[in-house]
Amino acid sequence: MGGSGPKPKLLNSDGSRLDGRKLEEMRPITIEARVLNDADGSCLLTWGRNKVLVGVYGPRECIPRHDQSPYRALIKCRYNMAPFCSLEEHNRSGPSRRSKELSKVISEAFENVIIAEAYPKTQIDVYIEVLQSDGGTRCAALTAAAVALADAGIPMKDLPVAIAVGKIEGKLAVDLFKDEDNFGESDNPIAFAPRNWEVLLYQADGLLTRDEVEQGLELAKEAAKKVHEVQVEALKRVYEKPHPPSVPLATGMFQ
Amino acid sequence: MTKIVMPGEMVSERPLRMAYAYTDGQKTYSTVVAMLSPEGKLIPLEGPYDALPEDYVVGFVSDVRFAGYSIDIGTANPGSMSSRDSREKFSLGDMALAKIIAVDEVKNIDLADARKLLGGRIEKISPVKVPRLIGKKNSMITMIADATGCQIVVGRNGYVFISHKGDHKLAKEAVEMIEKEAHTSGLTDRVALYMKERKAARGGESAPASGMPPQGGMNAQPQAGAQSGQGGMPPATGQ
Amino acid sequence: MEIQKQLKRDFLTTLLSQGKRADERGKMDYRTTKVQKGVLQNSEGSALCNLGKTQVLCGIKFDIATPFPDRPKEGVLATGAEFTPLGSHLFEPGPPSVESIELARVVDRGVRSSNAVDLQSFFLEEGKVLALYLDLYVLDHDGNLFDAATLAAMGALQNCIMPKVEGGKIIRNENKGSLPLATSCVSCTFAKVDAYHLLDPTLDEEKGMDGRLTIATTPKHMCAAQKSGWAGYTQKDIMELVDISFAKGDELRRHLQ
Repeated sequence: MGGSGPKPKLLNSDGSRLDGRKLEEMRPITIEARVLNDADGSCLLTWGRNKVLVGVYGPRECIPRHDQSPYRALIKCRYNMAPFCSLEEHNRSGPSRRSKELSKVISEAFENVIIAEAYPKTQIDVYIEVLQSDGGTRCAALTAAAVALADAGIPMKDLPVAIAVGKIEGKLAVDLFKDEDNFGESDNPIAFAPRNWEVLLYQADGLLTRDEVEQGLELAKEAAKKVHEVQVEALKRVYEKPHPPSVPLATGMFQ
Repeated sequence: MTKIVMPGEMVSERPLRMAYAYTDGQKTYSTVVAMLSPEGKLIPLEGPYDALPEDYVVGFVSDVRFAGYSIDIGTANPGSMSSRDSREKFSLGDMALAKIIAVDEVKNIDLADARKLLGGRIEKISPVKVPRLIGKKNSMITMIADATGCQIVVGRNGYVFISHKGDHKLAKEAVEMIEKEAHTSGLTDRVALYMKERKAARGGESAPASGMPPQGGMNAQPQAGAQSGQGGMPPATGQ
Repeated sequence: MEIQKQLKRDFLTTLLSQGKRADERGKMDYRTTKVQKGVLQNSEGSALCNLGKTQVLCGIKFDIATPFPDRPKEGVLATGAEFTPLGSHLFEPGPPSVESIELARVVDRGVRSSNAVDLQSFFLEEGKVLALYLDLYVLDHDGNLFDAATLAAMGALQNCIMPKVEGGKIIRNENKGSLPLATSCVSCTFAKVDAYHLLDPTLDEEKGMDGRLTIATTPKHMCAAQKSGWAGYTQKDIMELVDISFAKGDELRRHLQ
């Protein structure tokens, strides 16, 4: 959030956003589960111009062994951005400090819902790769990770879903893209467990009044319901696709 | 009608103790993507193996120690078998069928009664699809074994031993097909038809070796009523 | 892993002595191959290669860079490879493994030596050139990452736009047409198991192999070669595989159209 220099206008004269959306409108989302052959569970999620791929492995042996817990599986989410993911420059490989922070808050969201006690002394690896980024990648990442974990059959109490709300030119908006995130007044990513709308991830920057905080939660919840439907559809579709035996599973990942 | 449910979706208005579900307050919710049968039972569509005592599993020896062996059965930590609990001696890499005799609270798995499986290969399927591969009263697995002439031993852990003798490739394809379509109905007929077509397409050149004795002295008989979730059943084998 | 390797090797040699591979392919047959170009929107070029169950993604980004001091009028070509841990149960997060470094360097060698890209045309002004970053992402490992990566790289280059530069900066949403390419580079990788050579090895075949040889070619030349593993190769072996690599060129290039 916040760039130096003159800020571009983020709202048109008719109140619409730069990409033509209304304030409460989300970007288009597509979700495809079971797109990788080796991973135990996987998901490819496209959200506006974001594209996130998640692969899940586990429960498997916990390495290093001294990390392992006798009571439960360790949940290790790794959020990473590919070098070619940005519209701007080429990025260096390897996790940045931001990536490590996001890995932590995403892991913690899943620690709430994954029934880890079923698999002591193991780890469950959730590898998130951002192949294209345009604002809201952590929400896309968490939403995709939930689908990949469900695809792997890891038992969970719920199927978490995330969405960001924010403030642009004094107005609350849903699902900010990169420019809105950079030049707007606040960015507020939120993840929910849809069964009872418990909040599993909550971050914010910029300035929000108390009422805006409350409205933000409501707006996010309404939008999250729609995203959750797309997650469910994606998982159901895995079992509706016919599979000839000799054809590898993932042949048309990006179609 | 069977429907597919999601983690967190309600499956009963009453608090029930059942596999793949949890209760919160007065209701029961699914923990996995599963089919909910009209009788209210959850059949998971994917997932890791939950080791239970009395399960028969297939694996291979991954470590040999002074007093026993580690056997890789696809769980996060391998199963252990002490030399005392097995009649045969094993070498590294040997494939075996064994019975789980104990699982403790940190999921250490103790095995016994291991028998070597020779002259074949282990294919892996998702453990939750094993009941479908076995079929009601072993119907599916027997059909595949008969049609291919292979010896097939199905472990509850999803490791499936298929003998080299016989039409190994066709057996493997049948196993893969069942894994991908386990949730559908009419599968037994489709598999039978598929195998018939594939054999015809190859002009019968890979006619299964007839009258082949089981390898390695394997002798477990198919039991009536082999069903999912039942411990204590000897593994389904086909010959 | 060690026991598995020996088991795999025994299994493979048993089959091969009967003239068969596990998936019933011929020793010199490729698995089903597909190259999809333009799969990413934020990069300047991209392609995904499916080779059997193996999937390798390539993304290309341009930046402005300072040239190497010994080549002040030449652009920069840099190739990276990520064995991202979602791609295989064998990959762990962490610093690049020597295998991923080898893959990046061999694909780079092939593309660079082939002169497919005219690096001289990347010169902008004194001390400023275009840099083309070619990043390979292994999404699904079932063997033969080399050939899949080379096809993905070539597909991405064929899909790549030439960026518009103004005032020393790249104008990201615009372009000056396609990146001109002089030729195409493809590769053939052979696993050596005992005395047998197998084109396009699966992961199982790689686990049991003693050696591997990759030959990259343009229509007229060999432009890169890499032997790995402990096994020794006779000169006859090498020449046989080089001839097969040239012969397979047309088949591979068809997937790039």
